[in-house]
Amino acid sequence: MKFLMETSVRSGKILSILMVACLVGGMLCSIGSLHSLWSNGRLDLGTLGPVLFVAGGAAGMLAISSFRRNCRILIDAIHRMTTQGKLDDLQTDNHEIRPLISAVNEMVEAAERCMSDAVLKMKELEIQLKVATSERQHAQAIIYSISDAVLVTDTFDELVLANESAARTFQFDLEHSRRARVEEVLRDEKLVEMVRDMRQSNSKTGRRIVEHKIKGPGEEKIFKVTLSAVADDNDAPAGVVTVLHDMTREKEVAEMKNDFVSSVSHELRTPLASIKAYVEMLIDGEADDEKTTREFYEVIQNEANRLSRLIDNILNISRIESGLVQINKQPQSLMVILKEALEVIAPQARMKQISLVEQLTPAFYQTSADKDMLYQAVLNLLSNAVKYTPERGTITVQTTVDEAKRKVITRISDTGVGIPPKDLPFVFDKFYRAEANNHMAKGTGLGLSLVKHIIETVHRGRMFVESHVGKGSCFGFELDLSD
Amino acid sequence: MAAKKILVADDESHILHVVSLKLQNAGYEVLTASDGQEALEIAQAERPDLLITDYHMPQLSGLELCQKLKQDPATAGIPTIMLTARGYQLEPKDTNQSGISRMLSKPFSPRQLLATVNEVLLEPAA
Repeated sequence: MKFLMETSVRSGKILSILMVACLVGGMLCSIGSLHSLWSNGRLDLGTLGPVLFVAGGAAGMLAISSFRRNCRILIDAIHRMTTQGKLDDLQTDNHEIRPLISAVNEMVEAAERCMSDAVLKMKELEIQLKVATSERQHAQAIIYSISDAVLVTDTFDELVLANESAARTFQFDLEHSRRARVEEVLRDEKLVEMVRDMRQSNSKTGRRIVEHKIKGPGEEKIFKVTLSAVADDNDAPAGVVTVLHDMTREKEVAEMKNDFVSSVSHELRTPLASIKAYVEMLIDGEADDEKTTREFYEVIQNEANRLSRLIDNILNISRIESGLVQINKQPQSLMVILKEALEVIAPQARMKQISLVEQLTPAFYQTSADKDMLYQAVLNLLSNAVKYTPERGTITVQTTVDEAKRKVITRISDTGVGIPPKDLPFVFDKFYRAEANNHMAKGTGLGLSLVKHIIETVHRGRMFVESHVGKGSCFGFELDLSD
Repeated sequence: MAAKKILVADDESHILHVVSLKLQNAGYEVLTASDGQEALEIAQAERPDLLITDYHMPQLSGLELCQKLKQDPATAGIPTIMLTARGYQLEPKDTNQSGISRMLSKPFSPRQLLATVNEVLLEPAA
């Protein structure tokens, strides 16, 4: 546009000069003709004046009119180009201004070339911008989808990018925290210091991994914090990326596994200790009569059986979990299985003067079950009830049949110590033991996990638990009746 | 000379039985307790010459039992042998502060236990 305007101004000036030049030229021609009349004595001064005036005037008028027309054409063409935003060649039939028009046209062509170059470059930039925007959105989407908390800060320790998880962990408003100071967002002095230290280290590719505890709204959580220094295109430090991985649950599981190894090792060593001690007593001749000798042999046998059962329990869980267990399902009477288990548990209940109450449905109700496994599950539940019920308590074993739904429901209720509500959701977790009741009995934390596996994984049933601290617990399961 | 009195605490009845028999056969008088709380009460009432206790017991653990005995001047001097399957969990400061003279890990040898008992009873009182 600027170029067009400059061109028209410059053309206007040149035209004015040309018009004056033509006017002067016309007048000189008229003066030449009059001079020859004057020389021949046919012209006197009385006629010369008006002739000169008319001839000069006419020539001037003609020249001016021609310039004006050409100027108008030129100006119109330039206006057209300006309003249409499209450059084009200027045309003229006036040979006097043709060089000017040619020069202007050359200039227009040069401008056209510049413009098309600029358009090409603009298109390239547009494409680059689109690619960059889409890459940025993609990177942001990845960061937002990460379950770990991610925070990106710049060289001024201001927040450039953060994800939902970070906002949740540190309880800040994601939308309004861009460019906020890191200490306003993190509100954890030690972590802010770590980010600052990493930034001040001026490292371009440094990385630091630390374990850090953060006190949240609920419980204290343990995070693995990875701080990475990032560099810009010119290899200068550009900021810090902080990633926080919540390790609380992993730590708990690791701790549970440690406890489990410890419990299992203790549980295995106990019967082994008895076997070893009694064998040594026999070798040393400490059993001096036949009755004692026989008693020692029985202890050794019983403890060897106990060891074997314990190993079976551990292996069964592992086999069921890995799907390797051999299941032998046959129509079974649940009442018969419950009766057998009750008989086995009765001596332990008697020792604590616990009454066993049976409220069982008739034996003809059958369910498709692996007898050994279901027996093991019921025995585990009964054994737990005896363990956690104080002396002179009551354990009730009840079965009910829902004919409409074709289900049989078994409930084993006790008047025991009960399970605190906070522990209730985890009682079927492997290795889990309610801390409050730890002193009541020893255990591996495997029993209930095995029961749940037997009922739900092996028999496609449903396990449930209800409990009130100080009043007792009720463990139950629901199985399909066989047709 | 009266037989030395030894208190044995373990929640495993077989272990209690075998240790008692080994010690009785060696001429010691044996008292037994099947949990930590019971052992504490017997120790306070009977003042035994030696305590043999399991570490992992209901109600009161072996370590807690030793700590309670140590707090009471009347029972603080009772030497203790601890039987445990978890010996590795006990810190030396815990054993020193609780008056635990020896640790034996399960499975243990009754023969070795008797030798240790004889050794501890011969040591001058702390």
